[in-house]
Amino acid sequence: MSVVFDGSPLKAMQSSHTHTPQTALSAQELSQEIKSFISGADTVQGRKLSVREHARCAVRLLRLVPACRGAVLEHLRGVYDEHVSTFLHNLETEGDASSGVSANLEDIIQEVHAVLSEFIRLNPRAWAPLVSAWAVDLLGQLSSKHAGRRVAPHSSSLNELLQLWMSCAATRSLMEAYSQCLAAMLAWCPDACVDALLDTSVQHSPHFDWVVAHIGSAFPGTIISRVLACGLKDFCSHGAKDQGPVIMGVDKGNRVPKIGSVVGILGHLAGHHSDSIRKELLRMFQESLTPSSPLSPTSSSTSWESSPQLRRAAVPFLLQLAAMSPNLFGAVSAELVELLRPPVLLQLQALLQGLPREELDNMLGLAVHLISQSPSGGARVLRFLADTATPASVIISGPTPSPHEGVREGCDRLLQMLLLHLHKLVFNRSDGVEGNPHHSASSQPQRIIPFLEELQSHVGDLCAETLRLERKRHLWLHQLLCLLSVYGGPSVATEALCQLLTQARNPEELALAWQLHTVLSSCMAGLIPAAVARCVAQIHTHTLGPRQLRQLLLNLAAAIQSQDEEKRGALGAQSSMSMQVGSAVSGHLHDFCPLLLHGDPAVSHAAVRLMSCSPLPRTSSPAHLLLLSRAAVTHFFLVLRRRGEGGKVGRDGGQAGEAVNCSVLLLSRFAAYSPLTLKAVLQQLVEGALHKGNTDLFGGQIADMSGAPLPSPSVSPDLGASLLDINCRFGTTVNFSGSVWSVFHAGVIGKGLKVRTSTQLPDPSGVIQNIQTLLTVIVQCCSSSGLNGSRPPSDPDETPPINAEAAKVVAVTLVENVCPDVANGELSWPPEEHARTTVERDIHIRRCFEAHPVLFPLLQVVAAGRPALCYCSAVLRGLLATLLAHWEASREALSTDSPWHLQASCLLVSCMGEGQLLPPVLANVHEAFPHLTPFEVRLLLLAVWEYVRGNGPMPQKFVFSSEKGLFCRDFSRDGDVARYVAPIHSVLHKNIDRLGHLCWRFQL
Amino acid sequence: MGDIRQSLLPRDVLSAAKELLYHLDIYICNLVQSGRQPPQVDSKTLELVEEFILHAPKDRNTPARRMSALQELQLLEIMCSCFQEQSRDTVRQLMFSALFSLQGNQADESRMALLGKLVSMAIAVGRVPILECAATWLQRTHRVYCVRLAQVLVDDYCSMVPGSVPTLQNIHSASPRFCCQFISAVTTLYDLTSEELTPPLELLQMIVSWIQDDPRLVLITFLNTPLSGSQPLSSLDVTPLGGLVRWCVKAPLTYRRDKKLVLTNGSSESEPETGPLFSALHLSVLQVFMLLPNILNEKGLFGRLALLQMESLAALTSDLSRLLDQADKHTHTSSTDTHVLSQLALDRLAQALQVAMANGALLCSREDLRTICSRLPHNNLLQLVLSGPVIYYNNIHTPPLAFSPHAAHSPIASHPTHPAHTPHTPHATHPSSHPQYPAQPFIAGMPFPFRPSH
Repeated sequence: MSVVFDGSPLKAMQSSHTHTPQTALSAQELSQEIKSFISGADTVQGRKLSVREHARCAVRLLRLVPACRGAVLEHLRGVYDEHVSTFLHNLETEGDASSGVSANLEDIIQEVHAVLSEFIRLNPRAWAPLVSAWAVDLLGQLSSKHAGRRVAPHSSSLNELLQLWMSCAATRSLMEAYSQCLAAMLAWCPDACVDALLDTSVQHSPHFDWVVAHIGSAFPGTIISRVLACGLKDFCSHGAKDQGPVIMGVDKGNRVPKIGSVVGILGHLAGHHSDSIRKELLRMFQESLTPSSPLSPTSSSTSWESSPQLRRAAVPFLLQLAAMSPNLFGAVSAELVELLRPPVLLQLQALLQGLPREELDNMLGLAVHLISQSPSGGARVLRFLADTATPASVIISGPTPSPHEGVREGCDRLLQMLLLHLHKLVFNRSDGVEGNPHHSASSQPQRIIPFLEELQSHVGDLCAETLRLERKRHLWLHQLLCLLSVYGGPSVATEALCQLLTQARNPEELALAWQLHTVLSSCMAGLIPAAVARCVAQIHTHTLGPRQLRQLLLNLAAAIQSQDEEKRGALGAQSSMSMQVGSAVSGHLHDFCPLLLHGDPAVSHAAVRLMSCSPLPRTSSPAHLLLLSRAAVTHFFLVLRRRGEGGKVGRDGGQAGEAVNCSVLLLSRFAAYSPLTLKAVLQQLVEGALHKGNTDLFGGQIADMSGAPLPSPSVSPDLGASLLDINCRFGTTVNFSGSVWSVFHAGVIGKGLKVRTSTQLPDPSGVIQNIQTLLTVIVQCCSSSGLNGSRPPSDPDETPPINAEAAKVVAVTLVENVCPDVANGELSWPPEEHARTTVERDIHIRRCFEAHPVLFPLLQVVAAGRPALCYCSAVLRGLLATLLAHWEASREALSTDSPWHLQASCLLVSCMGEGQLLPPVLANVHEAFPHLTPFEVRLLLLAVWEYVRGNGPMPQKFVFSSEKGLFCRDFSRDGDVARYVAPIHSVLHKNIDRLGHLCWRFQL
Repeated sequence: MGDIRQSLLPRDVLSAAKELLYHLDIYICNLVQSGRQPPQVDSKTLELVEEFILHAPKDRNTPARRMSALQELQLLEIMCSCFQEQSRDTVRQLMFSALFSLQGNQADESRMALLGKLVSMAIAVGRVPILECAATWLQRTHRVYCVRLAQVLVDDYCSMVPGSVPTLQNIHSASPRFCCQFISAVTTLYDLTSEELTPPLELLQMIVSWIQDDPRLVLITFLNTPLSGSQPLSSLDVTPLGGLVRWCVKAPLTYRRDKKLVLTNGSSESEPETGPLFSALHLSVLQVFMLLPNILNEKGLFGRLALLQMESLAALTSDLSRLLDQADKHTHTSSTDTHVLSQLALDRLAQALQVAMANGALLCSREDLRTICSRLPHNNLLQLVLSGPVIYYNNIHTPPLAFSPHAAHSPIASHPTHPAHTPHTPHATHPSSHPQYPAQPFIAGMPFPFRPSH
């Protein structure tokens, strides 16, 4: 039988002696050494040991006698302390630094450090806990003890403190030793060492902070997670009952010692490692939710995940942590919301279900508090809450599946609590100050509510969300908007209201704006004018797109119109509001007027709707008025054209028609506003109607300066004639009246007549409609109660008479436009023969009438407003002169062979009759014209001329008859009419066969 | 002696302790002088010790006074010289037990702490009297506390202070008794059941070198102790042989595990192989067994005292079978390696069993062995050992008598086993309790010459 024996044991045994100390002391010597160490004196020589020798002795014992370990470490505390004292003393007495060098124990410190570091390296398991505890304790003691020294910086200046201590050999050595221990211990008992660190930190705070900060930045990842784990354990063992409603760390005393230092430490680290802190916090949150899996790879490092109790406490712990440190909260809050996906929510719910009711309430309170204090990400939180709390619906199905019912209820509750809390905060901000909170705001520092503070910049989004009118959501958001407005004061309220006004798309949505206003009106004055002003500002800055712009204008219009409805007996709740809107809008009318000419028809339509229903301002500067009138008139012609173009298309046509109506309404109301506006409007209307851009609307042709229709450039060949050349010739530089001009209106002499361009007239029905519209608007303007007092029409069916002044404006404008030469000219007529001198002008006038068919209706309007036609005297005379010339020259058999002239003659005479420039006998002659020969027509017209020459068309011949409300001319005061009737009777006689039925019209 | 309390109370911690030690010395001297048998320290004195030396809180109201580490060191130093200077062994022993024998109260914790430091220091400065007292203490105290003391020493010298192993090694020459007890305690402590309970390499080397130098070291306590019935309950075994056998048998399986661990860590430095060490140790253990017959015969105890306990062997075999199972399960790859190692373990077990039985250290029948080894896998040597009489051993050429009840023991002539004389092997007296065990997995063709009837 043999023993299995393989290999020499001797070799193995030799190696055990490798660590033989260099100074192998005998037992006797060791005993002496111990005695020396204890007594502090050399027992052999009987003298006292110096500090240095004593320390060396201690180090030897540390190496050789394990039992002395504790005592040696204790002794070394003194040595380190001594060194620190010397170090600080040297700093304080800078000059004598050299004297301190001898007493400096730096070499000893280094020896000790080397020994300890070697021990830790060789056997970390045994030494690391020992040394780390010792080092941390000593560090704490040293930093507390020497905190009051003159050279020591204040504990708040962490960096200086760190610099000071790290320049001291003793503390640096301790710090290094501790780092070494920590590095070694992290592998197997991380909690223990961090516990020690925390305990010491609590004990020596704040002088110890530099240690934590340094260690933390050396081991950020681990320290952070350990610190959190320790905090969590402590939190858990303290139990939730202690935590209770500790909000904002009011009660940070001794009840929650560790969480305080956890917050402190993490706060220190947040400067450089906020990213890892955030990750760690989020990881903690996530891992507390995921059900424990034994194979989880991370759970090996930290143990808290494995304990269900700790996992359950994690969420309350994190909340508490966040409540105590805004820094940490800020770091986490942003990403936390992203994490809260439906599965996570389900887990969270499952986790929280197990908690007692009271605790849940506390957590809820805490969460609400946190949200209200969160300085950023509020909008996202809000959206998340609203999204989650909104009940699932078949109609609204978002991209995410509807959350679990329990989760939804939880969120619902949270949201309501949040609103309640915010409500309290907002309305209690200025306690004890009566009245308007915004008046007190300036006097007393307000408490900031970060959540609302941040949301202020999201008012627009909030409004948009609110307007979606989704179930409960818009109620919450609306409530929040109210709170926000109250909190933010008038500016936010204005913004909110303005946004609502801009974004609402239908009456229901618009109602939200009024609701908001109703709530706010109690505590805020002048909200609506401010909101409207803000809207106007938006318009000015062009921040709104055409659609929004249109919507805004329509909303405002709707708001104003609701006022009209109320007048008819609806509820008065909104009356004051819509009145306010109306007056506010009226103040900004001139700001809206550019919109009338907006390129988008929809916008201009909306604008005209708003302006047509808006009340007019009580006072306004003439500049604004003129601007307004110009825009309104321009718009009028625009819509006329639009109606003509879009008339065929159903809906657009309807809209265009409505736009025209609105425009007419606007113009008439505006014209009635003041004499100035009346004048401006009429003037511009007439000018516009005659403007060459608009002539085609009224069946006219584009006329050149001379009144003749322009040939289109492509059609007319270049005749090679130049006015400049002619004018340069000698003798023609002076304008001999009638010489050079006469060359050009008919053509260049020698080149034949000018080519007359045949222009095709536009759609006659459209022309008629346009002319009718124009007349309507002019008549309405003229007859509206601008000048002739504010006399309301007694009978709505009876059209009010044309106002004389208004008609005069029309007349004057007309004259100015048709023939500027004769403006303000002599009203009375010369003898007929003198007309030869004005042939040029007369032809121009006639051509004008040819080119602008609308002139006759305008003349009729003028005629109706007696005695305004008098002011058209020159034009009438010119026209009549050319007509006379025509009829005289005419070699046709019948007057009907020149239809335009016949028509013009008839219209002219009838107008003059209407305008009472002619007595009825003479005015009726036009009825006979179609039946006569040109010569006879000339005779009759000559009679007319003679009469007017004899009885000048003077306005002062008219007197106001109050019963008719009109000016009338008493012809009996003029000369005998019979004188002028003779040619008529002759013509009657001559043509009695055809004119018999007209004889009665010419009786005196 | 109780009246000095009032004078001690106002003193500072250290001088009170010093003074008490001084008084204690005088008191015990007087006690021994008086010749009362047995000398007994009264409880009043013990209380004083607890209050002023161990600083156990006397009651809840008075805060416990504590000594600083420096003061403690001074106290230890004083104690060392106090024991050193006391020439009378009895007085020392009495004093030591007055200070350190466990009372089963609160003070025991600080008592153990102080004792650990004192013994550690005594080793460092070579205070033989203290080591002797400690050896006695180790004999008389419950093994749990012995193990704790051993742990403190191993920590101090083998792990905490590098290079201090030689100091501990010296106790072999300074106090062999203490050394022997220390080995017992260490083998009890490190039972190789887990990684923490595997002896550090330095310790292993030291113990192997001790036993190699002087195998009788293991038996010193046994040799020096009058075998009375006064062996306290649950104290350490009288020899570390059982523990050493356990180490040798389990080592191939447990150290292999460690080695693999080291390899995966990538830091398998020039760590010396433990295999040769255990082989050497195993050899030494077997040699010690061989020394036994003479010693036992001298004491007239041969066949009456089992130095290897059957219970510990049973525990060892069940541990072993569990380890072998694990080895089978966990190593699919290096199955040959595993096989070699487990065969080595089984070989060592068989060798130890055989040698122990042959030299009267193990008193049991082969049937009992078969029972406790029934779970183990096949091993040729073990098979041989279990199957019985080795014919060539004592040159008796007659084949064993198949049906003789004493045939099992007949091959070993110097082993007159009588059931009446083997009170330590309960299995032998109650053979009927075994039938439910499954039969030893014999190979079918193996000769199975006898079946003991009892």
